[in-house]
Amino acid sequence: MTENPPNPNATTERSLHRSSESGDAIRITEADDQWLLEGVQLKDQKAMATLFDRYSGMVYSVALRVLKDQGHAEDIMQEVFFQVWQNPQAFVPRRGSLAAWLLVVTRNRAVDALRRRRPSDSVDDVVLAAAENIAVESERRALMEKARLALAKLSPEQQQSIELAFFEGMSHSEIAERTGDPLGTVKTRIRSALLSVRRAFQP
Amino acid sequence: MTDNAHIPAETLALHALAALDSAESAAVRAHLAQCEACRAELARARGDLALVAMSVDQRPLPEGARERFLGRITEQAGSASQSAPAVVIPITAKPHAKRAAAWPALSGWLAAAALLLVSAGLGLKIRTLSRQLDATAQQLDAQIDHNRHAHQVLDLLTAPTAQHVMLTAGKTPPAPSARAVYLAARGALVLEASNLKPLPPAKAYELWVIPASGAAPIPAGLFWPDATGNASVVMPKIPWGVAAKAFGVTIENDAGSATPTAPIVLAGAAPAPGD
Repeated sequence: MTENPPNPNATTERSLHRSSESGDAIRITEADDQWLLEGVQLKDQKAMATLFDRYSGMVYSVALRVLKDQGHAEDIMQEVFFQVWQNPQAFVPRRGSLAAWLLVVTRNRAVDALRRRRPSDSVDDVVLAAAENIAVESERRALMEKARLALAKLSPEQQQSIELAFFEGMSHSEIAERTGDPLGTVKTRIRSALLSVRRAFQP
Repeated sequence: MTDNAHIPAETLALHALAALDSAESAAVRAHLAQCEACRAELARARGDLALVAMSVDQRPLPEGARERFLGRITEQAGSASQSAPAVVIPITAKPHAKRAAAWPALSGWLAAAALLLVSAGLGLKIRTLSRQLDATAQQLDAQIDHNRHAHQVLDLLTAPTAQHVMLTAGKTPPAPSARAVYLAARGALVLEASNLKPLPPAKAYELWVIPASGAAPIPAGLFWPDATGNASVVMPKIPWGVAAKAFGVTIENDAGSATPTAPIVLAGAAPAPGD
């Protein structure tokens, strides 16, 4: 600890910038979302900006995919990140990776907006199990590609079920009505599709 | 669906998607409140949803979205700091009933003093945390510099395009030679060899650590010279804390050997550590 420390924010910025010049160092800093969240708890705006830069593209893209409207999608993205700024404690590491948590919260908020209904879950209630750490850009891209491939391998019926349930926010009875399939078939199809995606990520 | 029977995974997946009807959803919530196993399965289903979300094609943010967000948090941070003085309790003078008001006034001052103390304590805490953050960042900086330097050294030693030049006293024909750098306490070893003769098929050079204790030689890595006779062994997996008496290189089958095979083609006695 120095007697006259420089501006902590400036030091943080320097560390993040310099780390990007060396491969291993990227892992040291980029992997640590929790470290950035601790900065957010101290109201470090640079830490929040780093998280925003890291995940806003994913968050916005999911909201846009659901809402199909740039303005509404940005509203959802702003709301999600502002909640992180105001209440970073809502995400705790045991709830999985920050990116996965952001994506699920965003999808739920976007579907709520699409269906014009009250938020179905508080962010504090969104607990998920996701081991993938995608703080590093290259790993993020690789996982996205893997996810696209996993979805592309689903049967057309499974793809349609995921489209209607995940991206259009339809209930299982609405999907059954739309597709003409029995309710049980719809339930099984959605579950099996999600399991197939999960298996694609298992070693 | 009862408290004793777990919720089917299919139903939990639909609950994660918010795709259940409201009555079903309420029943699931009631069960989840008291069932750890079903909460865990729901968490897994939400993990699956995150994977589906990752499949979405990336779109660029609308122009100015970043600035709008940063402006919003700056504004919020500013208003939060401006609202901080509001915790000061206003003390108003009461001209009448002075004696009766004495204790409430005193308690008001005490409360204000307590608040000031708490504020000072919080301020100190924030400064301490900021300094800790700064110190951590500085340590990280130092570590990054250290790692970068180590990488540069390793890159130099192992780069196939690096020039290896042996300086000698006169026009002596180049002879096979090697230089080993060894740190017993960390089990760290780097060997750089030059002018090695080409190997017969299915053979490899093998490096050996000869322990000072008289124990059996320890294999420390196989290596093959390049076209110009250069080769290196960098940080082989060897035990830590073995004091070395010497190092040797033999020619072995390319799968390696547990014991050195004569002849020893290169050898060197280890000086005392630090010499």
